[in-house]
Amino acid sequence: MSDAAAAHEAPTSTGIEHKKLIMWLFLASDCMFFGTLISTHLLYRKLFPAGFTDAAGHQRFIQDLFSIELTSFSTFILLMSSFLMALAVSAMHKGQLKSFRRNVLGVIFFGLIFLGCQVYEFTHFYHMGLTIQNSVLGSTFYVLTGTHGTHVAIGVLWLILMYFYSFTGKLGGHVGALDVEVAGLYWHFVDIVWIIIFTAVYLVEYLGPYGIWGSGLPTVSQ
Amino acid sequence: MSSDAAPSPESLAEETRRYHHFIVLALWLAVVTGAEIVLIYLPIPTAAILTVLTLMSAGKFFAVILWFMHLIYDKRLLFWCFFAGLALAFATYAALLMLFSVDRIDTRWFT
Repeated sequence: MSDAAAAHEAPTSTGIEHKKLIMWLFLASDCMFFGTLISTHLLYRKLFPAGFTDAAGHQRFIQDLFSIELTSFSTFILLMSSFLMALAVSAMHKGQLKSFRRNVLGVIFFGLIFLGCQVYEFTHFYHMGLTIQNSVLGSTFYVLTGTHGTHVAIGVLWLILMYFYSFTGKLGGHVGALDVEVAGLYWHFVDIVWIIIFTAVYLVEYLGPYGIWGSGLPTVSQ
Repeated sequence: MSSDAAPSPESLAEETRRYHHFIVLALWLAVVTGAEIVLIYLPIPTAAILTVLTLMSAGKFFAVILWFMHLIYDKRLLFWCFFAGLALAFATYAALLMLFSVDRIDTRWFT
């Protein structure tokens, strides 16, 4: 820990502000929550690699659906929103409220773009025949990415409220900076979960002609 | 009230130093993400790509929690609290993977 951080040690038995400690414990529990969702998706992809059958009865593969360009764009947007959130927290620690507002508006804007991309993706997948009921793939994919999207939406709402709260004059000093830091921790967590989802759910599907799980189709015996 | 006191010159200097770290890290994260996308199209063995992708992903993950989430500047207790959750998440995946060993399971049960 740096000298500056040590100078601001909280007057608690752990030396950590309670709000921050509780947020970290919540994030640890959320980590387990997403761990089970990601594990379920990966296991079912391994057990049922064939993809899904659309409304017309045609066998479809997940690689036909995914758009690496769109997902990469979403990932980049979320990473940059995390950067702006770090700057917003830094601005609050420096007591620069205007800078905080500018950065947090950027985070909200990027969060909304990410959500827009996810809505577009879900709509596109639905029209291509992938629903939450018609396959194991649909169930695990929508539940996992939908839960993440819900977390992003909650984060955006939290930041919007914080942005307007900053105009009341009550969001200042050490307590205000701590509140922003706790909101920032939540936002960064949403970002790191997406880092894992991007690799484990999307990128692995592009390795080899049918992704690392294979096509699931019977192989022709020689 | 002490909580509304203006930031000290030391903490301002510290925040300025962190500000530069954040910019470097943001650029680094963008570059690694770009490299991941290029990597999946390279004609090299899948196992090698998967290993590198996992390492890159883990690198990005820890970079964000250490710098953006301030774990590197904060008390160690916070790191271990979070690490406990992370370890349990990985243990869950490992346990499920062993339980559903693909070569032995009959998926007709589920259909």
